[in-house]
Amino acid sequence: MRLACVHVPQLALQAALRRSPDARERPAALLAVTPPASGKGKARGVARVIEMNGDARRAGVRAGMTGAQAAAAAPGLCLLRATEADREAGAAALADVGFAFAPRVERDGERIYFAVEDLGRLYPHEQAVAQAIQAHAARIGFGARVAIASSRGTARVAARAHDLAVVPAGAAEARAFLAPLPVTLFTGDDDLRAAFRRWGTRTAGAIAALPPQAVALRLGPPGAEVARLARAEDDEPFLPLPPPDALEEATELEYPIAELDPLSFVLRGLVDRALERLAGRSLACAELTLRLTLDPRGLDVRTIPVAAPTREAKPLIELARLDLARRPPEAPVIGLHVIALPARVRATQLDMLRPTGPAPNRLAVTLARLAALVGPENVGAPAAVDSWREEAIAVKPYAPEAGDQTGTLEGFLEPPATTPLGKAQLRQRAAATAAGDLRLALRHRRPPEEIEVLMGRDGPTALRGAETTARVVIAAGPYRLSGEWWQDGPSGGSWAREYWDVHASDGAVYRLHRDARDGRFYLDGYYD
Amino acid sequence: MSSSRALELVGDPEIAARIIPLARLVESRGRRSSGIAALDTLLHGGWPRGGLTELSGRRSSGRTAILRAGLGAALAAGEATALVDAGGTLDARALPAGAPLWIRCQPGQALKAADLVIGAGGFGVVAIDLCDATLRIPDAAWMRLRHAARAQGTTVLVAVPHPRLRSFAAAAVELDGAATFLSDGPPLFSGLDVRAACRRGARDAAPANDEARSSCVSLAFTCRS
Repeated sequence: MRLACVHVPQLALQAALRRSPDARERPAALLAVTPPASGKGKARGVARVIEMNGDARRAGVRAGMTGAQAAAAAPGLCLLRATEADREAGAAALADVGFAFAPRVERDGERIYFAVEDLGRLYPHEQAVAQAIQAHAARIGFGARVAIASSRGTARVAARAHDLAVVPAGAAEARAFLAPLPVTLFTGDDDLRAAFRRWGTRTAGAIAALPPQAVALRLGPPGAEVARLARAEDDEPFLPLPPPDALEEATELEYPIAELDPLSFVLRGLVDRALERLAGRSLACAELTLRLTLDPRGLDVRTIPVAAPTREAKPLIELARLDLARRPPEAPVIGLHVIALPARVRATQLDMLRPTGPAPNRLAVTLARLAALVGPENVGAPAAVDSWREEAIAVKPYAPEAGDQTGTLEGFLEPPATTPLGKAQLRQRAAATAAGDLRLALRHRRPPEEIEVLMGRDGPTALRGAETTARVVIAAGPYRLSGEWWQDGPSGGSWAREYWDVHASDGAVYRLHRDARDGRFYLDGYYD
Repeated sequence: MSSSRALELVGDPEIAARIIPLARLVESRGRRSSGIAALDTLLHGGWPRGGLTELSGRRSSGRTAILRAGLGAALAAGEATALVDAGGTLDARALPAGAPLWIRCQPGQALKAADLVIGAGGFGVVAIDLCDATLRIPDAAWMRLRHAARAQGTTVLVAVPHPRLRSFAAAAVELDGAATFLSDGPPLFSGLDVRAACRRGARDAAPANDEARSSCVSLAFTCRS
């Protein structure tokens, strides 16, 4: 089996640099709070440099310096704070580099391992595979070293030694490849290193030349393992795992944010990084979950549904912004986690003869904007209510019946949520429309407006309301209706009304009713 | 092409009657059926695509019914439609087959909501119901809406109590209705006789030599109850 090892040196620093990409081109150092050496009293730990990039090292920054010392040593130094969120997101992003090429990946600190023997159909040779992996890691935000070898240990050592390496498949060639490498790359054990130095064995080739039994006898199992590795005969197990269900990006802020615009700016970076990782796995975001850590305490978790899986950041940011604007967090935000639910994008063939409906993503953003403008209860599709009251109406979620359809990961197994209309259905609907079009509509007042009505012997003779004062020319009625007495109770569903259609002197035909319970008149609306 | 010219060319009156001038076919591509045959005839194909259409008239002049018919025709053709309902007056029992996107809002929000819907793209017909609105809408808002409609190819129907859109409307129809009651026995409201007069838009769509063009039609709407 051919295995690739992707090694990201100083993963913590590189993970922190993902949220500050502009700092990659200049000296940068990572600070972490270390406990005081003396450990006495209530003295707080001091933030000290734990990792730095090459520019900072050349400028004189060393591990253990305080932030002030490092800044003095390297003017223009970018000091980044190590956070748990960065560390977790960095590790997950590194794993995603592997998931872009293989279904299962083994994580091991700053390294990942995955099988690459199936990639031969996509790339002409293994060198191209290694280059593609390195390029993808760069897109994710990592400067990675990549090595491909026949065993896990050999790949690990080769990745430590070279930026890009392909170890030959044969045992003898692999041993020859490892032979010039220094012993320090094979073990981190100082005692072992010292022992090999005392023996005068400074390279893998020298260790491989030693009798294996003699090395094991003198240095024990760790020594024997190093010797096996030097001979390219290591037997480290490869334990890959499938990808997690959701993909998470997170950041901890240095100061709390209370306004929407700065929060959107931070959110943009997180969503961009999450989408980049999803794109690497040929997936898209089907749902976004925001977990906001509030200051001083508290958590605000909100799920933002997405109409169709997308890899575009703009609609996702817009949906998140609208949701945050509609329901602002109760306190300033100090930490932000973005969890993207992966789904597969399925392209569908559009119908040449049927109009294309609104694109799901744009429609979702538009519906969210409309909800922000007029309220979510006022946007949707009208739905009849199970009631005998004429003015009763409800709103249900809107879903166009035709148009651009994209499915989710489950879409391969299940039919789409909205089914395009068939031709027969369209014909039937067209016939129904043609037959029933010339019918009047009643423009309802919700709720019915209480009005004054002058009653004569044959019915209403005049009416006066907030916007209407008119004499009644013709009155048709009454039509007595009652209902929902079976729902009588705390909800008070029972009603009884006498309806009139009146042609008023202003030319309009009004529908009004008298409540049989209190005798008052109400204007229901007018025909139009 | 006149019918006499067609007859002269093909020689058979039956075939000549079936010939549709190419110009009219081209024009009808820029039109969308209103759902009412008489109105389609009046407007030479229906509502203009990618433009605003104004329906003006007093109360009980049939504006809402025509608006609903337009939405119903578009839904029947499988298109996505939206109704911006300033006042939330929609009659649940008179819903067109299918479900338009329904936005209940204040009159001041109506044009902004319509602009958002049209901007989303993919909507064939967007109806704006301002029948009971008395607010003054600036010209810039209509102009913006017209640009959006043109860019998306959306038919925008605007129902208003008085003509307001002036030159911003690609078509304008004025409506006047008369109530009809059955007088055989106690009076019973039966419907409206509506006279629709085309004030703008029909001339552009009419073939150049269409001599038998009328500027108004009568429509009879019946009461559902």
